[in-house]
Amino acid sequence: MYKYVFRRVYQLIIVFFLFLVTSYVLFDSIPGNAFQSLLLNPELPREAYDMVIQLYGLDKPLYERVILYIQNFFRGDFGYSYVHYPRTPIELIAERLPRTLMLFAMVNIVAFYTGFLIGKILAWRRGSKSETWITVTSVFSYTVFYPWFALMMLWFFGYKLDWLPIGKFLYPEKWYDSPYDSDVIFVSMIKFIAVASILQMLAFVYTRNIESISARRNVRFTSFMIIIIGSFMYWNTGEMLNQKIYAMDIAYHMILPVFTVTVVAFAGTALLTRTTMMEVMKDDFILTARAKGISQKRIRDRHAARNALLPVVTSFIFTIVTIIDGSVLTETIFSWPGMGQLILDSVLREDIPVAMASFSFIGVFALIAHFIADISYAYLDPRIRIQSQG
Amino acid sequence: MNILEVKNLNMSYETLEGSVAAVKDVTFSLKEGESFGIVGESGCGKTSVAMSLLQLQADNGKITSGEIIFDGKDIVKLNEKELRDVRWSGISIVFQGAMNSWNPVVKIGEQIREAIREHYPDKTKEENTDKINELFNIVGLDSSIADRYPHELSGGMKQRAVIALALSCDPKLIIADEPTTALDVVIQDQILNEIRKVQDILGLSLIYISHDIAVIAEMTDNMAVMYAGRIVEKGPTKEVFENPRHSYTQSLLASTPSVVGDKIKLKSLDGEPPSLINEQIGCSFAPRCPNKNTSCNPNHNMELVEVASDHYVDICNAERSK
Amino acid sequence: MKNQKDIAKDIRRKALKKNWTMFKQSKLGMLGLYIVLFFLFLSLLQPFLFITGIWNKGVYDPVVGYSEQFQEFLVVECPKEYPTEKYKDRGDCPAKLEVNVRTLFYSDAQVGETIIQNLQPAPPSAKHILGTDSLGRDVFSQVMEGSQVAFLLGLLSATLGVGISTLLGTIAAFFGGRVDAYLMRQSDLILMLPTLPLLFIISAFAELKVWHLAVVLGTIGGLGGSVITIKSQALQVKVKPFVDSARITGGSRMNILFSHVLPNVAPLALLFMVFSVTGAIASESVLSFLGLLNIDMSWGLMIYLAQVEGFIFSGMKFWWLILPAGLSVTFLAGGFYLVGRGLDEVFNPRLRQR
Repeated sequence: MYKYVFRRVYQLIIVFFLFLVTSYVLFDSIPGNAFQSLLLNPELPREAYDMVIQLYGLDKPLYERVILYIQNFFRGDFGYSYVHYPRTPIELIAERLPRTLMLFAMVNIVAFYTGFLIGKILAWRRGSKSETWITVTSVFSYTVFYPWFALMMLWFFGYKLDWLPIGKFLYPEKWYDSPYDSDVIFVSMIKFIAVASILQMLAFVYTRNIESISARRNVRFTSFMIIIIGSFMYWNTGEMLNQKIYAMDIAYHMILPVFTVTVVAFAGTALLTRTTMMEVMKDDFILTARAKGISQKRIRDRHAARNALLPVVTSFIFTIVTIIDGSVLTETIFSWPGMGQLILDSVLREDIPVAMASFSFIGVFALIAHFIADISYAYLDPRIRIQSQG
Repeated sequence: MNILEVKNLNMSYETLEGSVAAVKDVTFSLKEGESFGIVGESGCGKTSVAMSLLQLQADNGKITSGEIIFDGKDIVKLNEKELRDVRWSGISIVFQGAMNSWNPVVKIGEQIREAIREHYPDKTKEENTDKINELFNIVGLDSSIADRYPHELSGGMKQRAVIALALSCDPKLIIADEPTTALDVVIQDQILNEIRKVQDILGLSLIYISHDIAVIAEMTDNMAVMYAGRIVEKGPTKEVFENPRHSYTQSLLASTPSVVGDKIKLKSLDGEPPSLINEQIGCSFAPRCPNKNTSCNPNHNMELVEVASDHYVDICNAERSK
Repeated sequence: MKNQKDIAKDIRRKALKKNWTMFKQSKLGMLGLYIVLFFLFLSLLQPFLFITGIWNKGVYDPVVGYSEQFQEFLVVECPKEYPTEKYKDRGDCPAKLEVNVRTLFYSDAQVGETIIQNLQPAPPSAKHILGTDSLGRDVFSQVMEGSQVAFLLGLLSATLGVGISTLLGTIAAFFGGRVDAYLMRQSDLILMLPTLPLLFIISAFAELKVWHLAVVLGTIGGLGGSVITIKSQALQVKVKPFVDSARITGGSRMNILFSHVLPNVAPLALLFMVFSVTGAIASESVLSFLGLLNIDMSWGLMIYLAQVEGFIFSGMKFWWLILPAGLSVTFLAGGFYLVGRGLDEVFNPRLRQR
């Protein structure tokens, strides 16, 4: 058992190294570098350019640079951004990350939850007229040409109806005399949502042991209402009251991107759930449940759906892993300054420290997410639990 | 007092290739506390009959005519809600391949609780726990099983748990569809004893379905022999075994080896059961019947005729002299 | 007297027929098939029209064609204040077939006269079913050209990708040990790299034409996560008894690989391929949309041009520049996906309705 774990970890480390090296080499193969614009400036002598290049070590051969980079990586030194000097990549990432997380965590949670619900119902009602059309609609929502769709949304809601802002994540005018930085607000918003979600989850877990179904439902509903009221009070008192206006501004800007991405993400989940549910529905224990006299709805939810959960959760985790990759398009079109836009920008402008830092970040993120994935499989499927212990 | 009466039941399945008549004109009845056996080879329609009793047939299966009267009510005519009341607390079933009857991600105890909660929603947790322990006691399982997941149990344990599940809502009638087919003979013997014990203690009626005629002999008071969707012979088990009148029944008995007596060569039946896709005219057993004689008319429609007290045989064989 | 080969062929033909009947049962699959066939028809229609001369290449070529659209315009003078009895607000003047006298620099036309101007992009007319774009090119022809690109690129990259991942997945399942570990780690590595930035990087140092993009997409897709899925499928086949019996009867490893394992993995591979086409079409469109591809004409490019020239926010006024391309990508990708769903029902009995 230990041998297996050890081997896995050792392989993981090698992969990570290779990942770093590959990333660096890729960046290097882009012709030119971030400082070439200096050459275009007629007032700067050639030596200025050479000096800068030497300063950043860009004149050294590739393998030396790679080794230097990896050494620095483990020292935690990521250098300075070429483009946004003198900010360090870590600063930039720290600034941008909450924005992306906020947006996409929101999206994914909503999309997966609703997608699962709809997919569940679709599979159960298979063959009915409404099911076919809803499924086809879901398919086209899933394969819709995303940039086009996002632009359409922007045009329709932002321009034509003027209901929602066109891109960006806040109105600069409103923030002129704000005592807060935008990232402070973001962080407090994220903290709030995290705490509320965890409380709700705990409520769910603790009420599992209540025997009577109706009592269970009542307690859960009450806890949900308590959380809603609590949030209300939280945002309207003291410190938070001041932050509220800015938080609302950000939230207002989030509506359109969240809605647009949710449409696509939701469709994917609904389709996956539908397929998985259809397979589960053919299992014998579903027949047993029917024989027991249990209502259709209950069979669908507590027996079939519960078993269909595993692949959906896998897909959810995979989405989280690729959250940054997925955010590139959205952030570009909606001018939402988050991680995705950072990566794109740094690649296009050859800001290698920032680009490398972002890529490394993605790598670490992926590894952690894989790990969490393995743990959650064990939780969801008791069969795997026993296997990994044995 | 007849607890179950099945009258002229007809059921067919719609498939891509056509309509398959799986149950043709099946009639039998059951008294309280009686155990009834249905025997026949694979595909003869016995499981379809069982499914019809609970209206659990597949989506493409339809009961085209007939009545199933359980405790005075015609089940065929009930709506979904009424059916759900009858299921499990009136009639319950132990499925073929009970291994897969369990939801793999829910504990065994919880699955039994679910059934009880459905029919007796007002019982408390303790009452239910006690009931489950009592059930486990009857079938010979340790009460710690309730906290386990299905994959942690062996085949025999799962089977017993399924029986416990079937008893959980105090049904009046239990259908056992080949409950021991997948188990070895030692466990089979234990399970059969459990079932008999349970029947005695609780006064249940039992329908036992099997292709193993030896088990039917052991377990049942009355029995029916099915072939190609029809009942070809039915009557008290003892009577049918001692005086089998239908050629098919005779072949079945002749093909089962006996532990006592001389070693004789077993007689088996050539051929296969007919395809049920198309409408059948006349005797469906005729192609395989080893006792064809001049009085046999293959185009004669099948119907049951009484030849001795409560003993019914297909008309063809009834007319034949012994 | 039929020999072995004939019998085998017979069985295969019957199986194919049965699968086709089953596929026809799936409403989703058939819908997808119709959509795909429709676009295939469009792709083939264009060269047909050119070859038979029904369409004049000079006018209708999607890239270099040019069609003059002359339109009569009424010259008006837009008032300084609104609303007036003719116009509600500033956006209404000049109306559709009118032109504001103040914008006429090269003409002495007076208010009330009509002048003839070349109008590009032109709205749909009898001559051009979907109108023309800002360079006078026929939009319908562009849609057809885009369809050709989508098919070629989609099928090419999907085939390549699935070919690679099937081969690698089967090898990993079959040979196990070090080979397996290496291939799995390689998949992990590829999975970790973010796709879009990667494509950006590649497009920055290598000029991407359609073929190149197809190969790149195919390779990345092939080496990525699908290897893992195919490997688990191949593993399931490997433990089946018939593989053991094949080995006992003396089959070499290669032989078993090709004649036993691969055919059983084939359905899954086919399914993957169809779904990959969906992804490939989407990727190409996204890249063209971002202006990264060196491609003459594609649907993504049409949207790119529309955006760059500022027509997107004109909304429904220039709908023929925006809607056909976007809808085509959506429907063709969706069509392939539906076909995949239909195939899924054929190959996986648990998903069938009967």
